[in-house]
Amino acid sequence: MLPTPAFAHASDRGHVLLLPTGYYVAGGALAVAASFLVLALLPPDTLDRFWRRRLPLFAFGNSFRTITSLISFAGFAILIAAGLSGSRDPLSNPLPLVIWTLLWVGLAMLQGLLGDLWSWLNPWYGPWRIISRLIGREDEAQETRLPAWLGCWPAVILFFAYAWFELIDPAPDDPARLAFAAGFYWLLTFIAMLVFGYRAWSRRCEFLTVFFAMVARFAILERNKVERDEDGRLNVCWPGAKLRAAEPLSAGGIAFLLLALSSVSFDGLSKTFFWLDLFGINPLEYPGRTALIGVGSFGLVLTFVLLAVAFLLAVVLGQRLAASRRSLGEAAGLLVWSIVPIALAYHIAHYLTALLVDGQYAVAALSDPFALGWNLFGTAGMQIEAGIVAGADSAWWLWNLQAGIIIAGHMLAVLVAHGLAWRLHPVPSRAALSQLPLTVLMIAYTVFGLWLLATPTAG
Amino acid sequence: MTDKNGFFDLSKSTLSRRTALKGLAAGAGLAVAPGFIRYSQAQSSAPVKIGFQSHRTGIGAAYGRWYEKTTAAAVKAINDAGGINGRPVEVVIEDDGTDPARGAEVVGKFATQHKTDIVFGTLFSHVVIGSAPAAGEAKIPYFVVSEGHHVASTKLNRYVFQPGITDVKSQIQSMAPWIAANAGKKVTQIFPDFAFGYDHRDYLPPALKAQGADVIAQIAIPPTESSFTKYFPQIPAETEVIYHVMVGPAVLTFVKELGEFYGSNRPQLFGFMDSLEATDINSPGLEFLDGSHFWEGSPRYAQPDDSAAQKAYRAAVGIDDNGAAVGDPKDVSTASHMFGCWETLYVVKKAMEDAGYKGPEDRAKLVEATEALTEFAEGPEHPQGPKTFNGKIHQCFGIQNISKVEGGKLKVVHKTKIEDGLYEPEGDYTTQAL
Repeated sequence: MLPTPAFAHASDRGHVLLLPTGYYVAGGALAVAASFLVLALLPPDTLDRFWRRRLPLFAFGNSFRTITSLISFAGFAILIAAGLSGSRDPLSNPLPLVIWTLLWVGLAMLQGLLGDLWSWLNPWYGPWRIISRLIGREDEAQETRLPAWLGCWPAVILFFAYAWFELIDPAPDDPARLAFAAGFYWLLTFIAMLVFGYRAWSRRCEFLTVFFAMVARFAILERNKVERDEDGRLNVCWPGAKLRAAEPLSAGGIAFLLLALSSVSFDGLSKTFFWLDLFGINPLEYPGRTALIGVGSFGLVLTFVLLAVAFLLAVVLGQRLAASRRSLGEAAGLLVWSIVPIALAYHIAHYLTALLVDGQYAVAALSDPFALGWNLFGTAGMQIEAGIVAGADSAWWLWNLQAGIIIAGHMLAVLVAHGLAWRLHPVPSRAALSQLPLTVLMIAYTVFGLWLLATPTAG
Repeated sequence: MTDKNGFFDLSKSTLSRRTALKGLAAGAGLAVAPGFIRYSQAQSSAPVKIGFQSHRTGIGAAYGRWYEKTTAAAVKAINDAGGINGRPVEVVIEDDGTDPARGAEVVGKFATQHKTDIVFGTLFSHVVIGSAPAAGEAKIPYFVVSEGHHVASTKLNRYVFQPGITDVKSQIQSMAPWIAANAGKKVTQIFPDFAFGYDHRDYLPPALKAQGADVIAQIAIPPTESSFTKYFPQIPAETEVIYHVMVGPAVLTFVKELGEFYGSNRPQLFGFMDSLEATDINSPGLEFLDGSHFWEGSPRYAQPDDSAAQKAYRAAVGIDDNGAAVGDPKDVSTASHMFGCWETLYVVKKAMEDAGYKGPEDRAKLVEATEALTEFAEGPEHPQGPKTFNGKIHQCFGIQNISKVEGGKLKVVHKTKIEDGLYEPEGDYTTQAL
């Protein structure tokens, strides 16, 4: 056997291992439990009155939406070209940095904070407007030939494929590979939008739109619908307030939200010593992604199934406890909205360090997308400060920030679930009782989420 | 920082992270490349293309970043001084994801798609081992900077070279004389229970024996362990030196718990910098290392007696006196390994010039010219120190540093001799067909 030195470096997780993370886990669990108790004692309409509050800002129409989307499309086309012909280095080519860091991490955060920017920035709407006008089928909400029974399952399947590509594929960062994947997906989606209608396809099949729209439900900005002759007014609201009016999600919608959470959780889990040890893989001699395709695919499905079973079980138990006559589908479809803040919190906490470092690479790469020596924004030569996430001090700050985000996310989830339960069960005692199993699940997920960030990991 | 042909633009005074990235064929580009010295004496001004198999993502990324910086600095210096055979050097980076299967794929891409002259720069041994057959098949010289014994073991193939960094067998062996003479005669080894640890387990005892010292206990720790206190009672009481080579995220915990176990009355400690590459030695938990000793390939901290070449190398790569990135003091370098990129590129330069290398058709000549090299003098091209090269096993041999943790810094207290690290060759690549 050939000797194999390991260079698994001590890494910043090493600093976290020395922190008293056990106290945080216990504290987080207690905080989530306490928020449940406090809510149970509050008069049921307190939260509702609170959530109804709006601070109106200003109104604006949708007229620029085509323009912003066209600009975004042009940017996307440039990025695809850069992916095909720019630097082969994934940290110098803007395509992987924009997609995996700025879009998947950065925009997800902004959506969660500010609302549905994606409906203005997606690269399909503008081109769709132009082409559909040319062929005379401009109705955004046209009758669709998409069968109703499909629900939003196509989005679930596409999101799974996306998660698989991001987390399991050997080289999702490879600029050319990503350019082909993203370019093909854009084209497929665009054709499908022309065939099946923009609204139907983007709401039921285009997974990024479905994901970003769900995340935007949590934002603190809300825009009223644009009526025939009136612009949509922008309001400030409390986080989660928009979920108050959410309609129950279909089975596909439930699956989608749970998959969004479970896939990010699996990304964390898959690198833990615990997970690797289960499969006899030495984390200090991490064999690389290619060797783990089978294990990873299995894990991605497994975490989804486990989360789905746990969630449904919690809802069923809650319905039993409250002796509810509502259907499981309605209860689960409504309560699953409480997963949104958890998914968002986990998304931010999990990708925080990547955003801080790769975000810098992205800013630099955008100045010279084709590696031609350009310096469009004056950032091409900027120093990448990898030290921002290095060392014991950074580890302390990051850990506290991540733990805070995770705990806050779960507390808000309890809050949202409480508000939604009240809609299902107008009798307060029953509403509280129905929430008990889901709260236990949320406490467990808090512990799991914090453990994922505190336990030893490979790399 | 790079011009449109991906060359370094020398008109900028600071070195950016963006190395020469991709190549359109040169020609016209050179005329407009600002700051470039003239290559008029060269027959062809097409660039020498170096395929950099880089750990940009995956578990090697922390090393990969510093390998990239060092490579960029060396290429800039080489181009500054007229390139190779009067031709500029261009680097094409491909990310291998620290994944052996992907590594082999990348080697194939360099050979057939990018048509680079050589492949260079791999660190992680499993990627080297996974990629070497692809290099042999494509008959493309493959210069690794891995420190593994795999090249010197002659179990790879004739196209694989490691001329810029010593191998782990040589490193371990050359520690023995100093340990036996200065630290103690009774040594207990603590190592992770897998191949990396086994190198130390297997190579140290015979080397110590030859110096009149003994390994009295070997404690193998399961790789997934994150708490170590339960292993410490296995350390024999008469132990004079603990030789530790733990790696991974639990290293800090290991040191902290060892400190709690011994308090102020401890045996001598001797470790390998592999444990703490890219990690600040002043991190909480590492206090117990004060006064202990480490192997270092190239010193992380600037030393009072640094040569002019060493100073120039550090300045070019952009590391400060503490071995961290200039302007980003928390970004600690991988000083013990990354110098190998710099030195390897100068070996490639020398071999290409000796071979009169013109293009991929001369790859076999390049292999033979590399095998014909015998020594590299200390200097700007080899700032870590002088080296000898054994063309039969494609491996260089050099000096090692033993450094003491003192006042929160690593101070070099001993430099080994090249002879300390020599061993009998285990085979001969030159008998293989080209």
